[in-house]
Amino acid sequence: MLHRILTLLLILLCAVPAFALDGTVLLKQVDRNLNPESYEMYRKLINVEPDGKKKEFTLFSVKKGADRVAALFLAPASEKGRSTLRLGDNMWLYIPNVGKPIRITSLQSVVGGVFNNADILNLDYAVEYDVVRVEETGKEYLLFLKAKTKSVAYDQIKMWVDKGKKLPTKVECLTEANMLIKTLYFKDHKDFGGGIVRPAVIETDSPLYKGYKSIMIFAKIKRQNFKDEVFTLTYMPNLDALRK
Amino acid sequence: MRLFAVLTSLFILFPAIVCGEDKYTFDLSETEKKPYHFGGYVEAKPILFGLDKDSALYKLKFYNRNEGKTLEEYNFKLQLEGSYETGIARAYVKTNTDYKHSYLGDDERSAFYEGYLSLKPSPSLKLDAGKKTFKWGKGYAWNPVAFIDRPKDPDDPELAQEGFIAATVDYIKSFDGPLKTISFTPVAFPVYDHINSDFGQNNNLNFAGKLYFLFYDTDIDLIVFTGGSKTTRCGMDFSRNITTNLEIHGEYAYIRDYQKNFIDSNGKSYLNEYDAKSYLLGIRYLTSIDTTYIIEYYHNGTGFTEAEMKNYYSYINMGYQSYLSTGSDSLLQKATNLTETNYGRINPMRNYLYLRVSQKEPFDILYFTPAITGIWNVDTSSCSLSPEVVYTRFTNLELRLKAIFLIGGKDTEFGEKQNDYRLEFRAGYYF
Repeated sequence: MLHRILTLLLILLCAVPAFALDGTVLLKQVDRNLNPESYEMYRKLINVEPDGKKKEFTLFSVKKGADRVAALFLAPASEKGRSTLRLGDNMWLYIPNVGKPIRITSLQSVVGGVFNNADILNLDYAVEYDVVRVEETGKEYLLFLKAKTKSVAYDQIKMWVDKGKKLPTKVECLTEANMLIKTLYFKDHKDFGGGIVRPAVIETDSPLYKGYKSIMIFAKIKRQNFKDEVFTLTYMPNLDALRK
Repeated sequence: MRLFAVLTSLFILFPAIVCGEDKYTFDLSETEKKPYHFGGYVEAKPILFGLDKDSALYKLKFYNRNEGKTLEEYNFKLQLEGSYETGIARAYVKTNTDYKHSYLGDDERSAFYEGYLSLKPSPSLKLDAGKKTFKWGKGYAWNPVAFIDRPKDPDDPELAQEGFIAATVDYIKSFDGPLKTISFTPVAFPVYDHINSDFGQNNNLNFAGKLYFLFYDTDIDLIVFTGGSKTTRCGMDFSRNITTNLEIHGEYAYIRDYQKNFIDSNGKSYLNEYDAKSYLLGIRYLTSIDTTYIIEYYHNGTGFTEAEMKNYYSYINMGYQSYLSTGSDSLLQKATNLTETNYGRINPMRNYLYLRVSQKEPFDILYFTPAITGIWNVDTSSCSLSPEVVYTRFTNLELRLKAIFLIGGKDTEFGEKQNDYRLEFRAGYYF
C-alpha cells in the first residue's frame, strides 16, 4: 500500500512540472508557427469605426532574434517615412519632420485604434510570458500566460490554440486585476511560402473601444536575416533601404 | 412577394458583403518598392491676432500705424519632396514655399529645406552630402545641444525646418550586453559667402560630431562643435524609460567664450564674454487613461537676465516717447535692429518651464486629441497658455484649432509681446 502511495506521489510530483514544461514548449511552437525568429513582412492595419468608416496603414516590418523589431510606415502619405523600433523593453518612434527618434511606451498607439505599440512591435509570446497552466477544451488548448516583468504591455493572456495546427485562434489580453483589455481573433490561414503557414488576418476588439475594431493583414512574410546595426536609432530613418 | 423580399434583402446585404470582404483585402502593389518617390504637404492657416497696444513690442512695430485691435493673417504652405534611389545611392530633395497675406501685403518665400545625396554601402555605414537637418538633442520644446540646427519654436516643436549644408558620416556598431549600440556621426560644416552664411562667421570650415551610446537601456549622446564660425561648444544628452509609461530626458551644453551683446536703458551697447552653460531636464508621462504629460525645465545660459530685458523694454519705450514728441524714429529703428539680431530670438531669457498635457481620444472619439500647452518664463512670472484640438479622422488630413494667450505684466517677456492672444486654424493635407 505504502509503495503504491509513494509511486502515486512520485507520478504526481513529476507530472506537474512536465505539464508546465509542455505549456512552455507549446507556446514556443506557437511562436515559431506564427513567424520565423528573424523575418521581414508587410502588414496592413485597418481601424474600423462603428459606422464602418476605415483608416488604413501599411507597414514594412523586420525582426531579428528574440527582442529586435522595427517597422516602417509606407502609407498613408501623412505617416509615410515614420518608423518604430523596439529593442527589448525600449521603444522609439521616428517622425521625419521631428527628425529624431523619441522614446515611446508599449501602451501608446502610433496608429490610434485598438492596436497599441506592443501589438505592432510584438515579440514572441514566450519571450514576454510564462505559461501558468494549460487546459484542454475540445479541439483547442487554452494557455494561461503571465507576464515575466512589469514592463510587458498585458499582465495576463489567455490563448486558445488549435491542437492540430499549433496556432492561436483567439487571444484575450487582461490586466493584473483580470480586466479584459482586448481580444485578438486569428483568422484566414494562408501559405506564405517557405513553410510558413499561419493566419493572415488578426482582428481585434476591445471593451474599452465599444463598436470599434482593428484588423491586421499579413503579406510577404519571409525568413530574413539582418545585421544588428539595422535595429538602432541611427538606422531608423533608413529602414526603407532594406526593402527590395 | 417572397422573391421581392429576398431580392430586396440581397440588394441591401450585397454592399455589406462586398464591404466586409473589401475590409480584408491587401493590395500587394502597395508593398512594391519604386526607385522614386514623390510626395508633399499643403497647408492653410488663417490667424487672428489680438493686439496689446500697451506692450513694448507693439509700440516698436506699430508706432507709426494703427491697425485696430485685431489683425488677420492668412498663411499657406506647400512642401514638396522627392527621392530617387539606385543601388547604394539615394538623392532626396524637400522644398518649402510659404505665402503670407497680412496687413503688410503679400509675401512669398521659397527655399530648399533639404537636398542631399546619401550613400549606404552597408547598414553600418552611411555618407550624406548636401543640405539637411540634424535635430540633435532629446528635449521636446528646446534643444540646447542642437549646435548645428536652427532653433525650434516651442509653440510648434514638430514644424519642419530648413537645414544646413554639410557632409556627414554615420557609423553604427551593435553589441550584446549592457552596451547595445555605438554610433558616431562626424560632420564637416562649411560657412562661406553662399554656404550657410546665416550660421555664423564666414570663411570657416567647422566640424561637429555626435557619439551615441545605448547603454543600460539609456540613450546617451556626446556632442561637440568647433570651428571659427561660432565658439567651441560641447554637450551631452540622455533619455531613458523609467517605467513603461514614464520617460526622462535631459541635455547639457557648454559654450566657451560666448559673447552676449546687450544695451542699457539708454541704448548704450555692452559686450559680455563668458562660458555659457545651458541645460534641460524633462519627463514624458502617460497615464492609464491615455493622458500624456510633457514637462521640461530649461536653463538658457546664453539668455538675457531680467534686468537686461527690462533695459531693452525701457529703451523701446524711450524711443516711442521720443517718436511721439519729436517725430523721429531713429531710436526705434535701432531697437528694431537689436530685436532682429539679438533680443528677438525665441525665448530670449534664462529660465523656462514647459508643460503640455494632451488627452488621446477622450469620450471615445477616435482621432481626436485635445491638448493644452503652457510655457512659463520663470524669471518674470509671465507665460503663454495654448489650448488646442487636433482631429485626424480623415486620411492624410490634419485639422488643428489652437489659441495662444499671452499673460504677463509690464517688463515681462510674454506681457511685452505685441499680442494678447492669437487664434489659428490649421488644415494640412499630405499627398
